[in-house]
Amino acid sequence: MTRGRFLFVLGCIAGLVGIAEALRSPDVPAAVVAASMLATTLRFATPLTLGALAGLFCERSGVANIAIEGMMLAAAFGAFIVGALTKSLAAGIVAGMVVGALMALLHAWLSVTLRVDQIVSGTVINIMAAGVTGFLSTEVVRRQAISGAGLLPAWRVPGLSEVPVIGPLFQQQPIAWVTLALVVVAHLVLFRTAWGLRVRAVGELPRAAHAAGVSVARTRYAAVMVGGAIAGIGGGYFTLEAVPVFEPMMTNGRGFIALAALIFGGWTPAGAWVASLLFAAANALHINAQQFGIPVPAQVVGMFPYVLTIVILAGAIGRVTPPAAIGQPYVRD
Amino acid sequence: MKSRRELIMALGAIPVLAACGGEAAPPAKAEPTKAPAAAAPAAPAPTTAPAPTTAPAPTAVPAKVFKVGLVTDVGKVDDKSFNESAWNGAKAGAAAIKGESKYVETQNPNDYKKNIQQFISEKYDIIVTVGFLLGEATIEAAKANPTIKFIGVDQFQGAVVENLAGLIFEEDKAGFMVGALAALFSKSGKVGAVLATDVVPPVWRFGEGFRAGAKYAKATTDIQIVYHSTVGPEKTFSDPEWGKATALSMIDKGVDVVFGAGGNTGNGALYGVADRKDKGVVAIGVDTDQWNTVPEAKAVLLSSGMKIIDLGVSDIIKAASEGKFKGGNITGKVGLAPFHDLDSKVDAAIKTKLEDIRKQLDAGTLKTEVKPAKG
Amino acid sequence: MAPARPGIALRLDAALVPVLAIATALVAGGAILWAAGPQLEGPWLGLQFVAVAYLSLLEGAVGSRDAVIDTVLRAVPYAFSGLAVMLAFRGGLFNIGAEGQLTIGALFAAWAGFGLDLPAVIHLPVVLATGCLAGAVWGGVAGLLKARTGAHEVITTIMLNYIASQLAAYLLNGPLRDRSPLNVIAQTPKIAEGARLPDLVPGMHAGVLLVVAVAVVTWFVVWRTTTGFELRMVGANPDGAAYAGVGVVRRMTWALGASGLLAGLAGAVQVAGVNYRSTLGFNVGYGFDSIAIALLGRNTVSGVLLSSVLFAALRTGATKLQFRTQVSADIISVIQALVLLLVAAEQIVRWLYRLQAARAVAPAGDDEGREVAPVTIGSAETARTSK
Repeated sequence: MTRGRFLFVLGCIAGLVGIAEALRSPDVPAAVVAASMLATTLRFATPLTLGALAGLFCERSGVANIAIEGMMLAAAFGAFIVGALTKSLAAGIVAGMVVGALMALLHAWLSVTLRVDQIVSGTVINIMAAGVTGFLSTEVVRRQAISGAGLLPAWRVPGLSEVPVIGPLFQQQPIAWVTLALVVVAHLVLFRTAWGLRVRAVGELPRAAHAAGVSVARTRYAAVMVGGAIAGIGGGYFTLEAVPVFEPMMTNGRGFIALAALIFGGWTPAGAWVASLLFAAANALHINAQQFGIPVPAQVVGMFPYVLTIVILAGAIGRVTPPAAIGQPYVRD
Repeated sequence: MKSRRELIMALGAIPVLAACGGEAAPPAKAEPTKAPAAAAPAAPAPTTAPAPTTAPAPTAVPAKVFKVGLVTDVGKVDDKSFNESAWNGAKAGAAAIKGESKYVETQNPNDYKKNIQQFISEKYDIIVTVGFLLGEATIEAAKANPTIKFIGVDQFQGAVVENLAGLIFEEDKAGFMVGALAALFSKSGKVGAVLATDVVPPVWRFGEGFRAGAKYAKATTDIQIVYHSTVGPEKTFSDPEWGKATALSMIDKGVDVVFGAGGNTGNGALYGVADRKDKGVVAIGVDTDQWNTVPEAKAVLLSSGMKIIDLGVSDIIKAASEGKFKGGNITGKVGLAPFHDLDSKVDAAIKTKLEDIRKQLDAGTLKTEVKPAKG
Repeated sequence: MAPARPGIALRLDAALVPVLAIATALVAGGAILWAAGPQLEGPWLGLQFVAVAYLSLLEGAVGSRDAVIDTVLRAVPYAFSGLAVMLAFRGGLFNIGAEGQLTIGALFAAWAGFGLDLPAVIHLPVVLATGCLAGAVWGGVAGLLKARTGAHEVITTIMLNYIASQLAAYLLNGPLRDRSPLNVIAQTPKIAEGARLPDLVPGMHAGVLLVVAVAVVTWFVVWRTTTGFELRMVGANPDGAAYAGVGVVRRMTWALGASGLLAGLAGAVQVAGVNYRSTLGFNVGYGFDSIAIALLGRNTVSGVLLSSVLFAALRTGATKLQFRTQVSADIISVIQALVLLLVAAEQIVRWLYRLQAARAVAPAGDDEGREVAPVTIGSAETARTSK
């Protein structure tokens, strides 16, 4: 994502916060509205960012991933059930990452080794995740009356979290913090390490990478599974950080919004993050406007991320270029 | 719920089933040799006759077990919400008349008709359909099968069909009570409601009833009502994360009483309030007494705006078994759940005022002025 | 790398894999049912439970006249949307947007059905044509974007699905809503009597005949016309097609437009034959099912028809399965995902049953690539350069 676009998106987010300010009822201080908008935005952006980062590693290595939704849903279930059975939130997070990585392993095996069409593989994972988690939540969780292990406690930044009004921004739960860190880490890994270079190489020019001695298959497996583990954290967000229960289909299409954010952000970590923030801010505005009694048409807000993504794909606000080898199985000559 | 083993027993042996093709295997046909555990006491013996007091319902052959079937709206019978409540009612009603009960969960709205037909072809005596979306399919089925009794939960009947009872609720009244409670209890003068989409009429009536009630009880109250309308009806009830985030957004702005209504989305709001327990905020649940169904929020749950579906359904089933079934609209009970853990925090003055509002609503001297649906 | 035309022997082989895939998925699904069943309470009870479940499924799908009609009626929209996905596949395009196109088709068909006052003779054709047109526009947008800007159709069609559902929510609560005082549902009024599909036999509308006709036409267009030839050429090898002078841009727009037309027809037939109106939320779930159907049918017309009947049977029978066993009907989704997995990754089936690879010389996976035209950004690049 270019610097100009990056700033443009940040400007849009500021604009959305500004609209919320303009709409606020006079007895609510401006700072409270701004802090609340930002808090809600960060909250909504967390699973979107994680989903987008999951897709990022996968797609940067040349493997298309429309299965973020399925990976997150399966991981949300895995995190919940292991957390509930062990009564350990840490074990739940680990389980979420493992389930996410296993779903990704299936995706990698199908699309890298068996060279199944990557969209088909993603479709399989999405349908499978919905079916299996729905089945297990009825047949195991409800039948055995398993209850969750609770929620991850907030981590407070000493000092800042005590400040009135903006304090809540500095008392986020662990996955929200980890997400912010992951954006930076993903950027460094992808653009500053040898492994990151290899991932990008097999995603752009697999033949050249192969000639340079990089194992295309191994690199793609690794990248896809790293992505899966991140999606797993995203799944954990739903059942360990947001609410202490698992509900069928609780990811509710966020995997696809994450995909939109990934594209919107031009397949870069920072871009994906600000895109997630933008989509989240739109939803936050919808909530805030209703709180102030202003009827913002729900459908307009609901369409927002998708229309923006199409507009940007069509090149109206600067073109985004996908990894060149995405979608193509690599066949050695 | 019956154990799987009992179900198998009731189904009889496979060869019988295979042989009878289109028709169900009545339990009596079970071959003892193929069902090794048939003697198990848990198995519902086909000889279990209805209680002698059971009046001869028009369709029921004497000594025949009364059968109650339930078709959910898209969703599951264990959704901690209206489907579950209706299913509990069907089970309780069937148990009370020593009948049996089964459900079919709708996976796609195009299947309403077929799922109802399933129970018709199995000669069920009472069929419960849950949700206003099934209204049309239920009316059609009822007209085509005059000997079967139908109960349509949340289905307003424009014209009376003799064998179809529409179990409807005045959610606006429940919402009104909840709104009044919220406004009276709030210290900050700010109350909020987190709801599923306003496209769904019962949700709309809860929300607008809440608005009216809060305003009635204390005109200066800041009332924040947020509907989850950016997603379709198939997603709006299953978004607890959104519900929680919305509740927190309200609490950030000083709201100290949050009403959560809309399946798991509303439950999310209760979790959000539980998260801010230290701030002294409280939550109000919906449909059932959620002190029982959402244990994580017990400590902050002030009350619930109840719409007592289970009792309504089981009462109609019992009436039907006694031959007292009546078509048309039957208005179920709504009201406030007990204050449970927070009972000591609710002033006697508030309790008196609420009781007064309840009486006035019942008497009709106080109107909620809420339209049946948005738009 | 040359695309191979399957001969008769290979056609049999092509049918073998889906059949084995279905059988394998049913066995795996049975294992899951067994685990959920009462196997702990008695050694045979678990197996009996599985048998009861599957026999109920079968009985519910084809066990009576009504069951057969239900299955056939459910297969109708599946067949149209499956053909839609197939058509795009043949042009090397992945239409994930069948659901959105179907939604839009249903909306506008319903509008034509209640909003227009026409003589009965032409009202029904107008309703169906309106649905087709609306779907074609919705699909064509993705095609145009792909052809003009290289925007990947997988992404744009996913986005267009969401936009379609929002648009439906807006229209069904606003301009197209049934304003009769008793209506509390986000739906259109019922369409005029003359706009409805007549019954072929009692309980089964004539849309079934339409499926057959459309299937024949689709087959003819794709395999017997120049347009179809060019379409398949673009799908098999876009660079080669461009080299041979085929207007790749035009073909891509055409393919997604035609695909959207078929999906829109699926929506229109549901309106004209089953529901007589469009209701919010009634078109959910067709998108991914139709992809599965196209793949299971190996992107052939006859295959799509057979798979749509199979998927319809699974969904129809699910009611009886759940009625008898009271087990979660999600098991059907699991079975469908397994079928799709095994058909897509047929190496698994070949390995399980020790079958020989279809075309021995091709590297593993490449044969799959030819069966299902690969979807690559490469073709988008082509579109861009050929602009």
